[in-house]
Amino acid sequence: MEETNTKKQTILVVDDSEMNRSILADMLGDEYNILEAEDGLEAVSVMQKKSDEIDLMLLDIVMPRMNGFDVLGVMNQNGWIEATPVIMVSAESGSPQVERAYDMGVTDFIMRPFDALIVRRRVVNTLLLYAKQRRLVSMVEEQIYEKERRSGMMIDILSHIVEFRNGESGLHILHVRTLTDFFLRLLMQKTDQYHMTAADISRISTGSALHDIGKIAIDEHILNKPGRLTAEEFEIMKTHAMVGARMLEDLPVHQDDPLVQTAYEICRWHHERYDGRGYPDGLAGDDIPISAQVVALADVYDALTSPRVYKAPIPHETAVQMILDGKCGAFNPLLLECLSENAGEIRGQLAAGSVSKGTRREIQAIADESLHSGASKRTLRLLDYERDKYSFFAALTEDIQFEYTVSPPMITLSPWGAKKLGVDEIVMDPVNNPRLQQVLGPGVWDRLSALLHATTPKEPDAHMECLLHYGGEARWHRVISRAVWSSDTPPRFEGALGKAIDVHEARVRLQEMEQKASTDAMTGLLNRASARERIEERIAERPDSNYALAIFDVDRFKSANDTRGHQFGDQVLIQVAQRLRRSIRGTDISCRAGGDEFMLFLEYKTEIEKTIDRIFHSLCGPFEGFNVSVSMGVALGETVGLDYENLFHAADLALYSVKQAGKGLYRFYDRSMKGTLSAITAIDTEARQGGDAS
Amino acid sequence: MTLQECYQAMGADYEDVLSRLRSERLVQKFVLKFLDDGSFDLLCRSMAEGQDEEAFRASHTIKGMCQNLGFTKLGQSSHELTEALRGGRSPEADQLLERVRADYEQTAGTIRAFRQSIGA
Repeated sequence: MEETNTKKQTILVVDDSEMNRSILADMLGDEYNILEAEDGLEAVSVMQKKSDEIDLMLLDIVMPRMNGFDVLGVMNQNGWIEATPVIMVSAESGSPQVERAYDMGVTDFIMRPFDALIVRRRVVNTLLLYAKQRRLVSMVEEQIYEKERRSGMMIDILSHIVEFRNGESGLHILHVRTLTDFFLRLLMQKTDQYHMTAADISRISTGSALHDIGKIAIDEHILNKPGRLTAEEFEIMKTHAMVGARMLEDLPVHQDDPLVQTAYEICRWHHERYDGRGYPDGLAGDDIPISAQVVALADVYDALTSPRVYKAPIPHETAVQMILDGKCGAFNPLLLECLSENAGEIRGQLAAGSVSKGTRREIQAIADESLHSGASKRTLRLLDYERDKYSFFAALTEDIQFEYTVSPPMITLSPWGAKKLGVDEIVMDPVNNPRLQQVLGPGVWDRLSALLHATTPKEPDAHMECLLHYGGEARWHRVISRAVWSSDTPPRFEGALGKAIDVHEARVRLQEMEQKASTDAMTGLLNRASARERIEERIAERPDSNYALAIFDVDRFKSANDTRGHQFGDQVLIQVAQRLRRSIRGTDISCRAGGDEFMLFLEYKTEIEKTIDRIFHSLCGPFEGFNVSVSMGVALGETVGLDYENLFHAADLALYSVKQAGKGLYRFYDRSMKGTLSAITAIDTEARQGGDAS
Repeated sequence: MTLQECYQAMGADYEDVLSRLRSERLVQKFVLKFLDDGSFDLLCRSMAEGQDEEAFRASHTIKGMCQNLGFTKLGQSSHELTEALRGGRSPEADQLLERVRADYEQTAGTIRAFRQSIGA
C-alpha cells in the first residue's frame, strides 16, 4: 500500500447485501479506505478490534444475526458512538424508525435508492463535523491551560511585590512553593491520612506563594530592620499572619474559591507550632491544617538557608539539623521524617525549579479532569463498561475481592466477599470502621498497609497471610494485593486491589504435616533434624544465654530387647521419653536422636549441675522388672562455644568417657576428653551430614 | 441491446438510476452483478421452509437492490411482499411471492440477454 493510504479516513460499510456495499464503496470512490461487514455481528467484531481507526460507519437496519438497532445498542454501551459517527442506510422511511435511530445517536440518514451525490455529501459533512468537534475539544484544553497559567502569573506578581518590600532574595516565594510541593508529595507517599489528590497538592503549592501577603501592612522599618526586633516590634511583626488571612477573607469576590480558602489557612496558620506554642491561635498537632504545616516547614528551611538583612545564610546540612533538633520550631513528626529521609534531594529540587515543570504537568492533568465531563464521556463510558464487567465477574466468583481507595477512604468488597465477612459492600473510612477492624483483628490493616506502601509502581504486588475473624471463627487467608500508584513524580499511593483466599484447611494441614515430620512417631519427641533446627534457632535468638546439651542412651538396652522382645524394648523407650518430658521445662528441647539415644538441650542461669543431676535421676528407676539406667554426656556452651556441632561432639565425647568408666553415670565434658573416641560414631557422622537417624 | 433498452424491457427506470449513480459504467456493472445475488434463491427457499423472518430479510434485500438499481417493477412487487412478511407471514404472501417470481424471472432473463448481447 502507498503511504497516502494511511492518511485516508476509514469508513465501515455494514450491509447484508453485497451489492449495496459495493455500490456505496464505488460511490465513495478512492478517497476513503472502505471496510465491509455483512451483518451486525461482524460490524461489532470489527469495532471491537479497531474502533479507534473507524472514522465513520454506514449502517443498514435490516440484517440477519444482528440488526442495525442492535449494533447501535452495542455502540452506545461501549461508547464507540461518541467517536465514530454513524450514518444509517435504509429503505425504511417510516418515521418511528428514523426517530429511534436519531435517539440512539445516529448522525444522519441515507435513504435508498442511493444517490451518489447525496451519499458523498453526507459522508463528507459528517466527517467534517466530527473533525471540528475534536478541534474544539483541544481548543478548550488550551484555553483552560492558558487560564491557569495566567492566574498563576498574577499570584507570582502579587507575591513578588510582597517579597520585594520584605527585601527578600526574590527566590523565597519560588523556593517555598517548590518545597511545599516536594514535601506534600513525600508526605502522600508516607501516609493516607490527609486524603489529598494531585489537584489538592497543586492548590496548596500555588496558595503557598501568598503566605506572607500580610507583611504588606507591616512598617518597612520593622520588616527590614537589620538587628534584633524589640518585643514590641515582634508583636507587630506577628500580626502579619492574621492580617494576611483577613485580606483574603475580605476579598469582595472569590471567597468561596478553594484556592482562596487554602491560601487563607496558609496565611493564618503558617506560624503555628505542632506543640501548640505558635501564633496567632496557638493551634496544636493536626488542628493546624496540613497546608499550613507544610508551608511552615518550607518557610523555615528557606529562611535559614537564605541571606537576610539581619543574618547570613546557614549551610543546608546545618539548617536541616537545626530543624530536626527542634531549634526552629516544632513540626509534625511525619514531616520531619520526610525532611530527614530526603534532605539530600532538597537542593536539587530548588535548583531545578521543578515547580514550573510540575505545574505545567498538573495543569494538563487538571484540564483533562475538567474535560472528563464533556469531551471524555467516551472514556467514562468505557470505564463504566469495564466496571460493569468487573462487577459482573466479581458477583460470580466465590472470592473475597476488594478495592481500596485513599481518597475518598473507601473499601469496596465483592458481593460474595461482603456477605461472607458480614461487612457492607462499601465501607467508608475503613480504618475507623469497627466491624471491619473486628474482622481483620489487631495489626492486620497496618501490616498490609505497610507492605503496600513499600511496593513500587513497577512492582506493585504484595502478599501476606493473616487470620480473618468472621462467622464465629478465625480462619487463615492469603491476601494478594496490588498497590495503585499515580503517574505523578514521585508516584502517590492511591489505593489497592486484591483478594483474600481462604487457605485455612491447607495451612492447618501443613501445620499437622510439619508436626508429624518433626516428631518421632513412637515417643512423640522431636526427631534429631528438627531438634537441631530448633536448637540453632534458639542459639541465634538469644546468643548471650547459657546452654547445655546432653546426650544419653539406655544402658543394657540391647539385652532388654533380646531377652524380653522388641515390643518391650519399645515400651522402655516410651517410658524413658515420658520420664524425660516430665522432668524438663516446656522451653527445653528434647529429642530421640535415634535407637535408644536421646538428646536434651537446656537453657540455664546457674547451677546446671543440680539440674542435670535431677534429670539424670528421674530417668533412672525400675520399669516392669527392668532396671532402667542411662549413661549421659553433657557439654556446656561456656566450655565448648555456642555451636550445635561443637556441643554435640563434646557431649558425645563425654558420653564415651562415661561408657569407659562403666555406665550408669553422667559426666560433663572437659578438655581432657578431647581427642578420645566417639561413643556414637554413627549418629555423629549422620548429624554432621544433617541426616535423620530415626 | 443497449443498457437503456434493457431497462425498458425490465420495466425499469433508466433515467432515475443514471441520475443517481451518475455513470453508465457503474449502472452496467451493478446490473450485471444483480444476477450473482443469492437473495431471490434464499427468498424462495425460506418461503418454502416457512422461515418467515429469513424470507422477510431476503425480500427486503431484493427491494433495496431494486431501489438502488431503479428496477421499478420488481421493486414494487418485492416491496409488497416485504410488507406482507413484516412481523409474520400474512395470507397474501404466497400469492405475492408468485408475482415477485414472475418479475424476477423477467428481470433476470432480460439482464442475461443483455449480457449476451454485449458479449460480457
